[in-house]
Amino acid sequence: MPGFTHLRTVSGFSLRYGASHPERLAERASERGMDALALTDRDSLAGTVRFAKACAKAGVRPLFGVDLAVGEPEAVRRDESVRRERRRTPVRGGAFIDESTPRATFLARDGARGWAGLCRLVTAAHAGEGTPLLPWSGDHGDGLTVLLGPGSDVGRALAAGRPDRAAKLLAPWREVYGDALRLEAVWHGRPGTGSGSLRLAARTVGFAAEQRIRPVLSNAVRYADPGQGQVADVLDAARRLVPIDPAGELDSGEAWLKGAGTMLAVAEQIVEAAGFRRDTAHRLLEQTRATAAECLVDPEDDLGIGTVHFPEPHLVGAGRRTAQRALASRAAAGMVLRGHSGKREYWERMHHELDIIAHHGFASYFLTVAQVVDDVRGMGIRVAARGSGAGSLVNHLLGIAHADPLEHGLLMERFLSKERVVLPDIDIDVESARRLEVYRAIIDRFGTERVATVSMPETYRVRHAVRDVGAALSMDPAEIDRIAKSFPHIRARDARAALEELPELRQLAGEKEKYARLWELVESLDALPRGIAMHPCGVLLSDASLLSRTPVVPTSGEGLPMSQFDKEDVEDLGLLKLDVLGVRMQSAMAHAVAEVERATGERIDLDTVPEGDPATYRLVQSTETLGCFQIESPGQRDLVGRLQPATFHDLVVDISLFRPGPVAADMVRPFIEARHGRAPVRYPHPDLEEPLKGTYGVVVFHEQIIDIVAIMTGCGRGEADRVRRGLSDPESQGRIRVWFAQHAAAGGYDAETIQRTWAILEGFGSYGFCKAHAVAFAVPTYQSAWLKAHHPAAFYAGLLTHDPGMYPKRLLLADARRRGVPILPLDVNRSAVAHRIELVSESKEWGLRLALSDVHGISEAEAERIEAGQPYASLLDFWERARPSRPLAGRLAQVGALDAFGANRRDLQLHLTELHRGARGAGGSQLPLAGGRKTAPAGLPDLSSAERLSAELGVLSMDASRNLMDDHREFLAELGVVPSRRLREARHGETVLVAGTKVATQTPPIRSGKRVIFTTLDDGTGLVDLAFFDDSHDACAHTVFHSWLLLVRGVVQRRGPRSLSVVGAAAWNLADLAELRAGGGLDEVAARLAEPVPEGGGDSTGGRRIQMPTGYEMHPWADLRPAGQEPSQIRKLWHQSPGSAG
Amino acid sequence: MTILCVRFQLPPMYEAALPGLLGLLEEFTPVVQALPPDGALADLRGAERYFGRDAVELASVIRVRALALYGVDCLIGAGPGPMLARMALRDARPRMTCEVPADAVLEFLAEKPVAALPGVGTATARTLCEYGLDTLGRVAAAPLSTLQRLVGARAGRELHERANGVDRGRVVPNGVSRSLAAERPFDLDEVDPDRHRRALLSAAGELGTRLRALEKVCRTLTLTVRYADRTSTTRSRTLAEPTAHSGALTRTAYGLYESLGLQRARVRAVLLRAEGLTPAEQASHQLTFDPVDEKVRRIEEVADRARAKFGPRAVMPGTLAA
Repeated sequence: MPGFTHLRTVSGFSLRYGASHPERLAERASERGMDALALTDRDSLAGTVRFAKACAKAGVRPLFGVDLAVGEPEAVRRDESVRRERRRTPVRGGAFIDESTPRATFLARDGARGWAGLCRLVTAAHAGEGTPLLPWSGDHGDGLTVLLGPGSDVGRALAAGRPDRAAKLLAPWREVYGDALRLEAVWHGRPGTGSGSLRLAARTVGFAAEQRIRPVLSNAVRYADPGQGQVADVLDAARRLVPIDPAGELDSGEAWLKGAGTMLAVAEQIVEAAGFRRDTAHRLLEQTRATAAECLVDPEDDLGIGTVHFPEPHLVGAGRRTAQRALASRAAAGMVLRGHSGKREYWERMHHELDIIAHHGFASYFLTVAQVVDDVRGMGIRVAARGSGAGSLVNHLLGIAHADPLEHGLLMERFLSKERVVLPDIDIDVESARRLEVYRAIIDRFGTERVATVSMPETYRVRHAVRDVGAALSMDPAEIDRIAKSFPHIRARDARAALEELPELRQLAGEKEKYARLWELVESLDALPRGIAMHPCGVLLSDASLLSRTPVVPTSGEGLPMSQFDKEDVEDLGLLKLDVLGVRMQSAMAHAVAEVERATGERIDLDTVPEGDPATYRLVQSTETLGCFQIESPGQRDLVGRLQPATFHDLVVDISLFRPGPVAADMVRPFIEARHGRAPVRYPHPDLEEPLKGTYGVVVFHEQIIDIVAIMTGCGRGEADRVRRGLSDPESQGRIRVWFAQHAAAGGYDAETIQRTWAILEGFGSYGFCKAHAVAFAVPTYQSAWLKAHHPAAFYAGLLTHDPGMYPKRLLLADARRRGVPILPLDVNRSAVAHRIELVSESKEWGLRLALSDVHGISEAEAERIEAGQPYASLLDFWERARPSRPLAGRLAQVGALDAFGANRRDLQLHLTELHRGARGAGGSQLPLAGGRKTAPAGLPDLSSAERLSAELGVLSMDASRNLMDDHREFLAELGVVPSRRLREARHGETVLVAGTKVATQTPPIRSGKRVIFTTLDDGTGLVDLAFFDDSHDACAHTVFHSWLLLVRGVVQRRGPRSLSVVGAAAWNLADLAELRAGGGLDEVAARLAEPVPEGGGDSTGGRRIQMPTGYEMHPWADLRPAGQEPSQIRKLWHQSPGSAG
Repeated sequence: MTILCVRFQLPPMYEAALPGLLGLLEEFTPVVQALPPDGALADLRGAERYFGRDAVELASVIRVRALALYGVDCLIGAGPGPMLARMALRDARPRMTCEVPADAVLEFLAEKPVAALPGVGTATARTLCEYGLDTLGRVAAAPLSTLQRLVGARAGRELHERANGVDRGRVVPNGVSRSLAAERPFDLDEVDPDRHRRALLSAAGELGTRLRALEKVCRTLTLTVRYADRTSTTRSRTLAEPTAHSGALTRTAYGLYESLGLQRARVRAVLLRAEGLTPAEQASHQLTFDPVDEKVRRIEEVADRARAKFGPRAVMPGTLAA
């Protein structure tokens, strides 16, 4: 029996509608003997590329289509004079999601023409406001087949028993699509005459015969396998934002990818019900098959998978010349400009690179990137190239990359060679705050028909899945929240495994039975897309045919054009993508430089700061590198402490070493030993001294591997790069080994050298880091450290304004305080929108003035208005001119921004309330102020010191006036806690108590394949880095993840003069203890400390490990964003008495 | 030390037992004010001399009798005035009468949160807390004018007096019960308006029946809708005439519900409260020429009798029977 083709199938890319991944659908279709399968997602073509690839793998012919809501044609629009009753706005919970618009399915029929038609339809449907709707005027396209199913206007009229109206509605469709129109019958075994009922299916078939339109049979597939109806119910509930109603209309459970036999039975039922003979069913199936056979779109030829489209040369400054000629002349001009014209070496390298570029025909690409970089620089935005593109001299000559590749020993072959056939990729970093400006500039330059941003599907992970399923199942929102927050950020399908294995979920695992259904549904939502967002950096650049090759929709916030395809799809489709990354550090540095110029008039050009500045390296060596680019994490601070970088090259190496690979391969220890002269520098062969000299014989960079292979085998660097790539794959590794041995032996190397070299290649080959990346990273690292050493106040102002790092702002503030930068409180007469520097008159030092933009809930307009109106003479003056909202004014009063106006903070709030009332009522007749400039006191109690701190945390998320740990000083002294400052003097192996606020928690993948929780505490005097190994997880994990203030008992570990960490053995929530101390005295604290802790069960995964592609093993639950709340989002102090402000 | 505030630990929906318990109190003093659904205030000024025991001892006697006669335990607070007795009740525990001595009123109040004061609702409490007046001690210390600026002239003055321990209230004998409530919870989050209305119909019917049994009419109907996120919306409406007629109550309840315009709100419970209860014989009723109204009321009367005889589910609207 020939297979059946499902013409209407949706995947998970129909957001919150389809329940199966396109890959799964293709697999199932193949298993059930189908030759072809259509993918017709709702409003989206985003799944197309994955589907096409999966179909190719499964041996199924893909059909492409889309399911769109279609507006009513003019001719049949209902009489507008009948006013529909407007529903009252709900006081709570919002209005129902309107899904009443009729929908139709469009299938691409005639190759590229049909595909272009589909893309245009989707683009048109998304052009309007609100939910995607294809206006009738846009409802036409060449090479499309249209299916009108139960959800279409025609189908609905039939369901309502109105064949007359259906005939009237059919006319406009027939006018546009003529012979390409099909009526679609669906039977899901539902009762009545609605969608999915037998009677509607029969009516459709009968109506089709009557109207002489070909009927087709489909199953309106929403999921691949039977039994997934419940998942569809959850998705429906999540889409409509209502709970599942067990008494309402649930999914029929029939909408799965049924095989040919079942569909024949369905067809027979339908034709019989329609009053035809049973064998007419074959004719219905035949019509379906014929329709499918017409739809011929080839993924390679018609979608353009595997071909490349660059912007036209005339747009990138080539004029009438070819792009290659233009590139060559620009590169030559760059040689002269940069003073390399006399250097033969440079000319040779340039011509060599140009040859490679010409070989691939990528000249337009380089010109395009150069054009973008020129434009960005012209706008005064900091821009830097990153990635392997920095290894190309042509890029340097065009002004794309800053560093001179020859000087730093960077190789073109790592980036592009004749042997590599993938698209090259150049990433550029711009200031994050101005990223959208850059996008707009690119769009202006090339036009919307050539430029689109790239999308990024947001998929269900465990937390969102728990929230959506919980809401669908009517669970208590507080309970849902608790469950969701207890999980680390893991995949949804791992939910039950995590419950079994993770110590911090033990309590939740105890309640597992209570929510058995929840877990099942949570896992079934795994990785389904739940939304589409703009990718943070990708920009598509193409020739003018972009819109007929990709559907483009506006992004929700910014209204930028965005392709529905994501990063990988775009690469497969051969669309040129330029990564424009917004880097917060660039913004922060730009702000710092601007502040210095504003306040002192001194102009700093960061790109020309002197190299090798001793103060900068002293700072780096002291490991007080908080806020410095790339070297601020606990692990990096530790590494920097051991490495003691003294030159730019050391920074490059440092950044390269701190990668999962090198850390896992233990390349760090030999390097450090050799660097400090504790171990001799060894080379496998004197020939290899040249590439390995800079790193004491340890292989750190990809470039070194390429050089080693090229030197030993004489194969050329392009080939060597291919070999390097092959090293990470265990399969090809064996072949390379033989190849390497043969060629090296031919080159005259003895067997032992080959053996030793191979050991190095095998061990480190796949772990190294691209030196071009590292050089590009090290430049902002040095620049930020230089700023921190020379202009600390401005540096912190930049950091706090743009918040680039991994730490909460309050820690940066604590760091500033520790380094002696005066923190000036918020003041409406002095603070600006952004953080500023200010000369403190007493000490003649630059202080940091906090910014208005950090006040919780302030709008940009309000902040600007407050700044523009400065100075204010009185509270009334401030109220009238700055016009803050009432809650904002209250918050400003709480944190002391209005202290200058006299009276205490609570009195000020009372005055504000009355001003607000006066403004609302009929012109406040009486001024509640005691005349003049000062505000009269009202006799309210002022905020206590703890309340002030709490207000600062609540309003600014920072403890601005003092460190919040200061309040616990006395209690900590009682406990004998060692402050961070004094920890340096502790001996190795000493057991100590440490305490502080948690500022970072990570579970990175580490060499031993174990899960280690790294935590950093801030205790006001400095930072303490803690590590919890898995024997302590049962006792500590939950406390560490879910408390903000911690008291930890641990053992001091020393690995170098500046390298110190504490291995935690027990942890308590310090907030609880402090409360007990305050309430019941030390005895209660003792009672809490005496409580038994859960015994350590060691590794609960049963030794399960994830094999990484690089060859090492990873703990299944490492490398995740951990459970609990992000430290930066905590706004509440532990003691919230009913009287606390806010 | 002469006023007792008693709360009988009655299971909900058993307020019919309250009159008997009030009778128990009346054996000690005639000045007893009912606080439905389960409490009462009793003024023992005369009783103390008559029985020769002080209020706390009398409280123990009352507790013992309530347990012996009705099997109902009670919490008792004692204080110099009704307000203080009520506040004392909050601190009372089973078998432990909490008393506020007349000379330690300010100390008793000083550490209490403002919300503990009768007459200070959540809104007032929030306002006061926002300005740091979180305990009654702080409220008492604040200037009167400031309090009046915060919460209004009259409320400010009363707050000031009460926070300073001036208790001007008195026990009003035979004070009528002031409100009745009927709640209908849902098992799951419910968005279906039909089921909401069904719940309202049933709640309004119950209120009507209970009002008529007590021979009371109500002036105001309040609808509280509780949502899944533990928030709620409250709306009230004054009836055209005080009534205990189920039909009128249902119509008003529907009207209240419609005014919310709920669509996607996840409703967890609806609660109807009949307020402003007055004796039925004092209520006026607008007669009409429409015989339907008269008929409906007569049917209701018969239905009440049937329910009295065969149980509350004997007669009910058709939609509820399904």
